[in-house]
Amino acid sequence: MSGRVDSLTAGELEQAINGEIGQGHRQILLNFTDVTYISSGGLRVLLATAKQLRGAGDKYALCSLSAEVHKVLKLAGFLSIFATYPSEGEALARW
Amino acid sequence: MPGGDGPTLESQAWQPVPGAPGVAVYPFIRKIDVVSSNSYLIRMPDAIIVIDPGGLPEQAGMIADLIDDLPCDHKLPVITFLTHAHVDHFLGMQSVPFFADATRSITIVHDTGATALAGQDIRLTQAAVLGQKMESLQVGLRLFCRQEPACFGTLIRSPLPGGTNVAIRYGAWSFGDGAHIDRGEILFGSGSRIEVYHTPGHSPDSICIRVGRLLFIGDLLFAANPGIAGLAGWNQQALIRSLDGVLALLDRDDIDLVCPGHGRVITAKTAQSILTGARGEARGLGGIKELNSERAAKTAVFAEECMEQVNELFSIMAGRLWYVSYVLECLGESAVAAHADSLIRGDVIDELLDAFREFSIEHHANNHVSIHLALKAGQVIARLERAFEKDRLARIIDSTIVLRAARLLSAYISMLRGLPLPAERGRCDLHQILEGVIIGCSVPSYSDDEVLSAADDDETFFPMLLARIGTRPLLEDVSFAFNDGNEHPAVLIDREHFADLVTYILEDLVGNGAGTVSIDMECTGDMVVVRITGSGMTARSPESKVRGFLLWLAGQAGGSLTVDDAGEFRQFRIEIARAT
Repeated sequence: MSGRVDSLTAGELEQAINGEIGQGHRQILLNFTDVTYISSGGLRVLLATAKQLRGAGDKYALCSLSAEVHKVLKLAGFLSIFATYPSEGEALARW
Repeated sequence: MPGGDGPTLESQAWQPVPGAPGVAVYPFIRKIDVVSSNSYLIRMPDAIIVIDPGGLPEQAGMIADLIDDLPCDHKLPVITFLTHAHVDHFLGMQSVPFFADATRSITIVHDTGATALAGQDIRLTQAAVLGQKMESLQVGLRLFCRQEPACFGTLIRSPLPGGTNVAIRYGAWSFGDGAHIDRGEILFGSGSRIEVYHTPGHSPDSICIRVGRLLFIGDLLFAANPGIAGLAGWNQQALIRSLDGVLALLDRDDIDLVCPGHGRVITAKTAQSILTGARGEARGLGGIKELNSERAAKTAVFAEECMEQVNELFSIMAGRLWYVSYVLECLGESAVAAHADSLIRGDVIDELLDAFREFSIEHHANNHVSIHLALKAGQVIARLERAFEKDRLARIIDSTIVLRAARLLSAYISMLRGLPLPAERGRCDLHQILEGVIIGCSVPSYSDDEVLSAADDDETFFPMLLARIGTRPLLEDVSFAFNDGNEHPAVLIDREHFADLVTYILEDLVGNGAGTVSIDMECTGDMVVVRITGSGMTARSPESKVRGFLLWLAGQAGGSLTVDDAGEFRQFRIEIARAT
């Protein structure tokens, strides 16, 4: 992922995630390295994904959050719903 | 902005003018902006009338082409009226030779506007604030010219291009308790007539023009709007009087449609409602500052700082609500979850914020004048205010977030209006204020006991449950210390702004991953220093626009702010004068 998750791109992100889940991938790690902004629509997509990945054996996490995205997720209360990791390597090591 | 509420007039089509047999109108209605106004073309038996050729050469050129293409036995004279001499209403005609051809065309403007046009008055014409260049424009006929006293109450005759004569009779149109506005009648040989009313306020030269049952009203509908009120030449008392006059005119019930300078043609009834609202707004605008280039530039800078913060606050508010909804769905309470979702229109908010960002990028890329950005922010903020249910939302998620967002929107509109920002500096116990903020950031909205004791009563329990899920004490996951130095200093600050400042700073530290946060208060001579420090930060310094916003807020609170950012450690130092 890169750039902004806003009103234009949140739908694309949702489609991409749903595409993966549709193919049976139940372990999703979203790498936010180059994402500088997330809108309310983007937050909704993150929660919609969390709803889908609540089964036994499912895994869902975010990594490499920018300052801006981390702050919004933290203050919105999302960090209690899914795990976040400083880097992709760390996420995979602790997966 | 005006919208449709019944049959009105179609843009770019000839149609009969109600109440004026043999007269047709061709409205050219533009998407609303500050670059160019609507234009109206009216075909009468004796003349072609243009009302406001607009600010763009292509628009004025299109009007000239339309006139040239009219099937006529002979070339009728063309009379161009300006509802007022602002560049967005006339600048386009300066590039179109048709309008300068004195054998065919004449321009009619209120006397004050004519002087501004001839003298290239970039202030009154708004050329300065809109960054436009204008040439001197000679007006063929000045309306309501006081230097010709004979014209008042007397019929005067004026030749038009092509030898056509019109008679003009001036007088006063009285309404209410002795109030009046100046009125003129322009009479054509065929019996057609046009009425003009002097309606200053938006500008000293504003006029309304009546043809049949149509009233061309210029910018009177928006004259009290933020970013419009306060333009050079704006006058509160004159505006209120003009609004009274036009409302009385519409009360007579012999005008069907009102044709504004910007936006769609509306019914008289809708216009009455908008004008009544404008009059109410205008009454509260005493003492506003002039909106000149300098103030527009400052407002535009604040617009971007403010929008950055608005962006974050609205994302957090929406996120909180989605979170509440998510938890409720996990609890099997889908209906309550849907209700929570409806309190904020996330899609609308995202689109508005994205639109502002796009506008801002284009604005900077093209080096546009500041007023455009300031007005765009005003437009977005006005819509944002309608996109969330503040009071109901504040009962579910942290009220401090919702109220700060509402205060921020309101502060921007006040700044755009040129009104003094609300600040009530008074003597306060600083310790008490800090303690209040800290408690607000540490304690849940309802305790476990309160929620449990309400479990038998759905009406009490559900709102409590929603609020319990929706509020997250900011400091719950961090190690926090308040070192007050055993002092209770009295300081002179605005309590609300100061509490907001401390909350924003705490959010910045916690949001950026601080594991430890402390507030230290120290009294040094005449000053009190509050240091808010975070350590263990995982993220870099806030963006400059965010920093700019905090500096502004500190100023509003009555203090000054410096920030020391050293990677994992960040300290905000607020300095406040002690109250004597």
